[in-house]
Amino acid sequence: MKKTFKYQMKPAFEERMKSLIPDKDDFAQFEKIIHQEPLSFIRCNTIKISPCELLKKLNRKSWQVKQPYPNFPEVMLIESDLLPGELGNALEHQLGYYYIQEVSSMLPPIALNPQPEELILDLMASPGSKTTQIAAKMQNKGTVVANDLKIQRIKILVSNLERCGVTNTIISRKDAIALCSKLANLNYTKFDKILVDAPCSGEGTLRSSPKTFIIWNHKITKSLSRQQKKFIAFALKCLKKSGVLVYSTCTHAPEENEEVIDFALRNFPVKIETLALPLKCRPGITKWKDKTFHQDVKKTCRIYPQDNDSEGFFVAKLRLLEETK
Amino acid sequence: MIKFIKSSEKKKILAVLGEQYGLSSLSYLLIEGGRKKLRAFSGSLSKEEILGLGNLTNIELIGMYIISRRDQDLRINFDALSIPEIKNQISKNIIKISKQQLELWMRGHDLEIKCERGPVVLQFQDDFVGIGKSNTEKIFNYVPKERKLKTPLPIS
Repeated sequence: MKKTFKYQMKPAFEERMKSLIPDKDDFAQFEKIIHQEPLSFIRCNTIKISPCELLKKLNRKSWQVKQPYPNFPEVMLIESDLLPGELGNALEHQLGYYYIQEVSSMLPPIALNPQPEELILDLMASPGSKTTQIAAKMQNKGTVVANDLKIQRIKILVSNLERCGVTNTIISRKDAIALCSKLANLNYTKFDKILVDAPCSGEGTLRSSPKTFIIWNHKITKSLSRQQKKFIAFALKCLKKSGVLVYSTCTHAPEENEEVIDFALRNFPVKIETLALPLKCRPGITKWKDKTFHQDVKKTCRIYPQDNDSEGFFVAKLRLLEETK
Repeated sequence: MIKFIKSSEKKKILAVLGEQYGLSSLSYLLIEGGRKKLRAFSGSLSKEEILGLGNLTNIELIGMYIISRRDQDLRINFDALSIPEIKNQISKNIIKISKQQLELWMRGHDLEIKCERGPVVLQFQDDFVGIGKSNTEKIFNYVPKERKLKTPLPIS
């Protein structure tokens, strides 16, 4: 049984979302679903256990578990009505056999497509859902540098990495821009891949964090957008030629999504690549208010909650054509 | 200051792990992690590259905490017990426990089980669920606080 929340959209937010979702029926579906609790997804931690073995264990607990994406058997949907906290308090969770992670949040590492032996930078790594997913895809080989700024966030990151048995990661604590600047200026080995899962206004997380309805403020998107452009600009300096940068947010705001990618396309030697993701994606928009974006931003991926019964997300994949300084 | 464990010391560690738990190999680079903890790193960066990175950022941690040194004993960390490389090698001092004992154990209770003195590995079905220490009369619980189950004991 899906629970619903009482919060309402602020008028300014509603107006923005109507501009992004102009079709009335489509918007009605959006409005309906953002007031429902999200589905319970987990990701099997293949560092410790195979999806098949985990499935057996969960079935023994009489949990109804579905694997909705045949190419991604590690993605599991818990269909049973569990008690509050039951998912996080299960023995299998404490043993690190799975990570509680909303399906749309699994998309950036899928887009990054990490390979064993690669050197990968996860620039804003805490709480570690994507870092653990990346390490699992790398089979604990190669190296992940997982960075975050605040010690409290680092503690959560450490706890999750350890629970999941991640051994190929170095945890760094530094401001993302300062870190990239130092890595680039002092000519440290360039990264094969970088994930910039940027801090954002969180418009896509209304279902799991209904407080976003209350704290949402359109002014914040402008300052976040400026910061996100800096993140992407500095991160690109640390990337190898032909390396891949995945940029993601959990917001619908074009200022924090297409505008940031447009900035990268216009200022750096990058090309944008088409994504093949397991969820229904809508193309990035090329016009927002008085701004027109590069046509290639259509290749970015907008995830709307009403399309997939998920949270909202944005993912873009950039490939660096030549090293930048 | 990052302190890598030398291969001669790693051999000694492995000898104790072999004696206590049956481990015969550890493919990781071992690093002294403070508070008598040893960390394991399986990444591809060399020691020099790690030190070079340490000059550019605050390295908080490298790899994963896998062993703590207590007196003469080495305790394998709760989270490391279920990593296949370690799990598949554990063959000594295993104590199998029942569902009822598991419920107590995972909530931090000591278990009234008589066995030989020293460190033991608790096993429930095919999972290792932590290290304990036996005084021959009972097994003292070392499940870390954040891995304990927070729900009340089921009514039997």
